[in-house]
Amino acid sequence: MTSRIKEKVFFTILGIPMVACLLVFFWIVFVLSSGIGTLSWNILTTSVLKGGIFEMIIGTIYLLLGAAGIAGPIGILAAVYLVEYAPSGKLTRTIDQAINNLAGVPSIVIGLFGLTFFCKQLGLGISLGAGWLTLTLMILPIVIRGTEEAIKLVPTSFKEAALALGTTKWKAISSMTIPSAAPGIITSVVLGMARVAGETAAILFTSCVLVTRGLPTTPLDPVMALAYNLFVKIVALGEPPEKVFGIALVLFFIVIFFATAAIVLRIYYRRRQPWLR
Amino acid sequence: MAEVDIKKLNVWFKDNHVLKDLSFTIKENAVTAIMGPSGCGKTTFIRAIDRMNEIISGSRTTGEIYIDGINIYDENTNVYELRRKVGMVFQKPNPFPKSIFENVAFGPKIHKIANGKEIDKIVEKSLKEAALWEEVKDRLNDSAFSLSGGQQQRLCIARALAVEPEIVLMDEPCSALDPAATAKIEALIRELGEKYTVIIVTHNLQQAARVSDFTAFLYVGKLVEYGDTKNLFENPKSELTEKYITGEFG
Repeated sequence: MTSRIKEKVFFTILGIPMVACLLVFFWIVFVLSSGIGTLSWNILTTSVLKGGIFEMIIGTIYLLLGAAGIAGPIGILAAVYLVEYAPSGKLTRTIDQAINNLAGVPSIVIGLFGLTFFCKQLGLGISLGAGWLTLTLMILPIVIRGTEEAIKLVPTSFKEAALALGTTKWKAISSMTIPSAAPGIITSVVLGMARVAGETAAILFTSCVLVTRGLPTTPLDPVMALAYNLFVKIVALGEPPEKVFGIALVLFFIVIFFATAAIVLRIYYRRRQPWLR
Repeated sequence: MAEVDIKKLNVWFKDNHVLKDLSFTIKENAVTAIMGPSGCGKTTFIRAIDRMNEIISGSRTTGEIYIDGINIYDENTNVYELRRKVGMVFQKPNPFPKSIFENVAFGPKIHKIANGKEIDKIVEKSLKEAALWEEVKDRLNDSAFSLSGGQQQRLCIARALAVEPEIVLMDEPCSALDPAATAKIEALIRELGEKYTVIIVTHNLQQAARVSDFTAFLYVGKLVEYGDTKNLFENPKSELTEKYITGEFG
């Protein structure tokens, strides 16, 4: 074989997985799009009690925003501490490794932990709040890792210059490092949200019920969610899959929305950070 | 205006003994060049004067440095006030990712030296002192990154001057700049030397000769020779200095 033909063969082989991914993606869209027929603006905005899915959509968004609201600040502070303050040593390395491992824990196990700890021991019951805390456990490692990376990308010269002007370490970090890392930090929070937007197992035992009367009014109320609804309809009620394609499609779009938002944010902010180019 | 009196200064990074028993006095309102080959401890030396070495883990310092008669390594010394009094300009221009105005205003705001209208005045005065005002007065709100390398370095000088320091440390401030920008900064250093105690690190012999009143020659962490720049270049006392300035090593 001449080297030119070899090149072509190898590039073709390398391209196959990408084509396969695209095909699968379009196939999913194609299958789900058959659910479009069952959707209408009316169904999206009508209460479950009257045959719509309104509470499920809002419940899913409630879960997401609340979890991000808790995991965001905790994760950011933890990451700042780990990068800027934690003494490098065995303990810090262990914590670092523990965070990595947390990201790898199956969500059903996290859900089980949530049920035992948040719902029962803390007495939150099956509630929105318990769901937030459980999802927080899943978002945290993503936010911590993402924030750490974002902070490490900020040139140390910014912090050094601030310190040389006579600022305290915290002031140098809060006025230089964190604002410069903010784009990466925000992106990591949105990525964390995208990661759990379609999460089922973690909210299965901790926060969801099939039907509620209206939206939850306090964090102690249970909530409805699209993913949970799919699960129950297929497994417990034995409905044919085609009947829930519409709901699956809505959930799919919510996940895609957050994933796309993360990408758009990253591209937008990269343009404004000349030191990253 | 402040004299810097160094007594038996030693600095280690972990096991590496970088500065060995330095003792000499840097004169006020003059430009003193610290020269020597790479790795001789020049940068570590000037970073010792505003205690910037201690932000690096594993560093250890012994000895004393007196500024205005006060030992900056005394445990009662306020390191933030010290760093206000001792400005620093780094090797690579490192403006903050903020506007030109905010870069200069940052220090005065932190130290609450001024507020409101007074800040505007300090910014203007500092930029004028750094010979940058005419070039940027119409675009103070532009990003500092929109400036050229030489302008960025003058902005960093203005930022250091804005907190009203007495001593200005410069760590090879021209090494990342082209000849034209270097010439501007050198002229500026000469001017600053009349009002501030300027200590500049350089491994460029011609630069030391051009800009400084006094020169200290460091070699592997030790002070080899220190004195009037003209004398040191024309009649070096030490053989090592002579070899260095004639280019036998470096």
